[in-house]
Amino acid sequence: MDNNLELSMNQEIHKFPQSKYVDAVRWISPLSAFDKFVVMAVHDTDSNVSSIDIQSLNLSNQPTLNFQSSWSLTSRVSSLEVSQTPNKPIIAASTFEGSLHFLLVHPVDVSLDSELSVTENSFHNGPISGIDLLSNGSGCVSVGEDGRVNLVNLGDSRLDYRRIFDSQGLVSYTAVKWASPTEFVTGGLGFSLQWWDQRKPGGMVSQFNGGWACGDTSGIVHSVDIHQSRKHVCVAGGSLGTVFAWDLRWPQQPIILSGTGSNELAAHSPSASEVWEVQYDCYKQSSSISNTSSARVLPVLMCSEDGVLAVVEQGEEPIDVLVEPCAINSLDVNPQNPSDVICSLEWESVAFITRQ
Amino acid sequence: MPGILSENNNALVPFSPEVRDPIVYHLHQTPKPPISRLSISWSRGNCLLVSFFRTKTPSSESEANSEENSDEEIGGKVVEVKLSSENGEVDDVQRRKIAYGSVSPFALLQSRKISAAALPNMLMGSSNRIDWWQHIMEYSTDIKALLENSKMPPSSVIEDPMEVLQIGEEPTSLKAAWELLEIFYADKQAQPWLPERLVDWLADYDSLLSSTMTTVHSKLVDLQKELVNLPAIEDDPKYWEGLSSALAVGWLDIVVKLLRLHGSYQLDQLGNRETENGLVEAVAVLVSKMPRMRSELDDSVLGECFKSKPDFMKSWEKWRGQIAKLECSGFWIQCDHRQTREGLKNLLQIMLGNSNILNTVTCHWLELYISNFLYIRPFTMGLEGMYSLAQKCMQVKPLSNTHCLMGLIHGILGDNIEVVLAECSRSFGPWMVSHAIELLTAGNTQAEILLHEERYNLGGISIEELHRLVYAQVLSSHPLTWQIAPVYLTSCTKQGMGLLEILLYKQPVIHNQLLLKVLEICRLYDLYSISSTIMKIAGVYHWKHGRKGSGVFWLQQAQDEVRLNKIAQQLFDFVGKPISDNSFKQWEGLIELLGSEARTAGGLEFLHKYRDFKKSLQQVQDGKAREAAQQAIESLILLMKNPSTPQRFWLPLLHDSLMFLNWQEQPLLNVSQTNLLLNKLQELSIARMRPDYVEADLPSQALGSVRLALATNLGRAILKE
Repeated sequence: MDNNLELSMNQEIHKFPQSKYVDAVRWISPLSAFDKFVVMAVHDTDSNVSSIDIQSLNLSNQPTLNFQSSWSLTSRVSSLEVSQTPNKPIIAASTFEGSLHFLLVHPVDVSLDSELSVTENSFHNGPISGIDLLSNGSGCVSVGEDGRVNLVNLGDSRLDYRRIFDSQGLVSYTAVKWASPTEFVTGGLGFSLQWWDQRKPGGMVSQFNGGWACGDTSGIVHSVDIHQSRKHVCVAGGSLGTVFAWDLRWPQQPIILSGTGSNELAAHSPSASEVWEVQYDCYKQSSSISNTSSARVLPVLMCSEDGVLAVVEQGEEPIDVLVEPCAINSLDVNPQNPSDVICSLEWESVAFITRQ
Repeated sequence: MPGILSENNNALVPFSPEVRDPIVYHLHQTPKPPISRLSISWSRGNCLLVSFFRTKTPSSESEANSEENSDEEIGGKVVEVKLSSENGEVDDVQRRKIAYGSVSPFALLQSRKISAAALPNMLMGSSNRIDWWQHIMEYSTDIKALLENSKMPPSSVIEDPMEVLQIGEEPTSLKAAWELLEIFYADKQAQPWLPERLVDWLADYDSLLSSTMTTVHSKLVDLQKELVNLPAIEDDPKYWEGLSSALAVGWLDIVVKLLRLHGSYQLDQLGNRETENGLVEAVAVLVSKMPRMRSELDDSVLGECFKSKPDFMKSWEKWRGQIAKLECSGFWIQCDHRQTREGLKNLLQIMLGNSNILNTVTCHWLELYISNFLYIRPFTMGLEGMYSLAQKCMQVKPLSNTHCLMGLIHGILGDNIEVVLAECSRSFGPWMVSHAIELLTAGNTQAEILLHEERYNLGGISIEELHRLVYAQVLSSHPLTWQIAPVYLTSCTKQGMGLLEILLYKQPVIHNQLLLKVLEICRLYDLYSISSTIMKIAGVYHWKHGRKGSGVFWLQQAQDEVRLNKIAQQLFDFVGKPISDNSFKQWEGLIELLGSEARTAGGLEFLHKYRDFKKSLQQVQDGKAREAAQQAIESLILLMKNPSTPQRFWLPLLHDSLMFLNWQEQPLLNVSQTNLLLNKLQELSIARMRPDYVEADLPSQALGSVRLALATNLGRAILKE
């Protein structure tokens, strides 16, 4: 509790009402880096228009979000990713209709220049549930509930895609994350995780089956993250407030960081509901670097349906960063300045948190 | 409901029969005639769906316009018409913002109510009642904060001496109404100085009334515009008019500011207008020393504040005496400036409570009412006294154009809760009513009985519940606000849960995210049967749309054995076909999902064992003979023993195992195992006679070769034993 109080004193929270539903939010770091920029996928339910908006975050004593540019889409965005190469930022957005769009951002005046997209019916059948861009923006992997895993190669002005796997709907995938330019991890129903290697075609290489959930209830993995420096460990967040780490070296023993599914942790779990997104918290890591041995899982930021944004760490009490009366649907840690976190709230607003 | 609404005398919801001007909506993109039929229906929220049905156009005509509208206008078209809201002051976005923000204060107050009700009556002493007032005020303050129009513009650091009236952001009637209710019903601490609260209220919201009539505020706005252009303002009758109006309604700071703009204060004039200036300053000082009965801590207004009545009366008499003394002073004769002399005397008359002058300088009854409080009857107490005074003022200054706030004030002063509710509902809508009821019932037993009484003509619910239900329906009709409707529905004891169930069932299950949000609400309110039904719906939906894994997952979550068994039969059709290694990869994930035997899987647990068998079979083929073969035999026996293994798999399983039956080195099956398999084979041969038997997709001699292999194996096994 003391710890909690201390933390809340050392952070500033600003909320920006949006008048539209915010589906996802990400930081974007173009070259003109005096301002901070945020890209969000918004949906206007009254006019049924979806768009990708870029806004600049102005940090005076009364911070404001100022509209920069916008690109409208034909369907609602299901997943949003940004490649953080400053001289060539690319925004990738997948939709509920199964199309995938790449928006090229002008690196200096931060406007949306042009679009490349895959809209064929043969790409995904139904909503794309997760995408991830390679950090250099040259490739994007997409997964869907239809059980397809596709890989899109981005050229200068054209793109092509190939199907890596198709389970014909027998298995649905709900999240994906690159581990290296050739390997990636997917998450799915029943707290399952799959490890894929492009060099070994024909299906996944390794699978983790989350049969450890209590009783008859299981859950869905909503988000996966992998740290650049430790690609053999991935963290996943999903139903029942669950955050767990999967270490490829011990693939059958998940390290559970939070969740009501397991008895020992249930009392300390910051959330009992869907964990919509998890990300490694590089900020927390730098503050307690002394006791991070390589066996320990790095601290993780999570946001949940019951309105909690918290840091969970192996063997430590979770720390609430933000507690809201409504769901927190997505979060992003600023890669250039990990003390900054932005998250989107159910009630048509965005919250910006800066930790000191 | 429409039937009841038309009979006005026992209407459920306050319904205004006034016919407003019809609003015309223009439809764009309507199909070209001929249109044979038109159908109009309600869509979600305040949307209308207008469907056009076209008659089949003759072929010649369709050719003529086939180029422009070949695909869209064959059968007709549906157009959505969004009806705009009545209240133009608060737009949809703002209204949603208010709806979101009021959830927490409302929920907090409800939970406090519940815990207070749980306390035994003995403990509900006076201290608890004070606590309760604090809770109500906390609630009211939280709600009021939401009604701010937007952030105040940054005020400039340098004060403009000419700016007597600060014009900030335009206030809203909604906030004005809320504040009125707070003053009269919630803020018990302010009861002794109710009139003074009204003075402040009018100062904040008089500008709202300017839209329909002249007010003191509009007069001052006009004056302010002219101030800059006037060389000697004291010559202008408007200056004195504005001064006396502002004084009459008690805006003392404006009066003092205006007085100090008097020409006699200018340095070059000070010499020859000394007496005049002295008089102006004397009046200004008297104005700023006016005794007021209000909280002493409040230093936002001019005047001397007194909390207790005796102190106030004493100083009031003293102040009046000072004014009377100044009135009779000899200095007036020495003042040459006629306008100044008359204007200042006028101000003194106002402060002495000259009712004729007060009548002329105020614009509408409310202003007159306030001036009466301030200067004629400063000791008015109690609602009754206030009401009779209000009626007198209304006789003097009847209102031709009624503002929505006037009806509300009238209802409040008349102590008529029904009128107050009806006015809130008519002018401000369901949000206002359902939230304001909390203030109305706070500590007012009469109102509490009226609003909490269960009524037969409302179907056994109370007025309070009715209004909450209406508001919850409004919330439910919008895709972004339906999620907060449960907070209000669960506070309705009679019909809330029923409507909540309907609301939850109505939500689409197409996308997992929305589905999970619905399930989370079920979890919060312990609605397990609903969540299981919704999961079943989702399971069937996904299954139907080819997402077999999702279908199985949701049915498993719902523990729906019946449907899982049905699904299993369909799945076996796929598996029944000889599956190649490649397609087996696709099955892996689904089988993993089915998990261990403890989990509900219906007939699907067979798949798990089948997978084990196939795996060992594959290993044998890869050359890891011996142990793998033994393992495969074990799986085979398990499968054949298990009652959940469908009969149609028996032959394919045995056929797949032919090579074990004919194992070169030694017989792998012992006698009893072989007998079991032979028995199964026999059963199968009998079953084949039945008409509903499904023939496996195998070579015709399969059965024969299996039988032969089993017989051979039996012989070898007997020999070995």
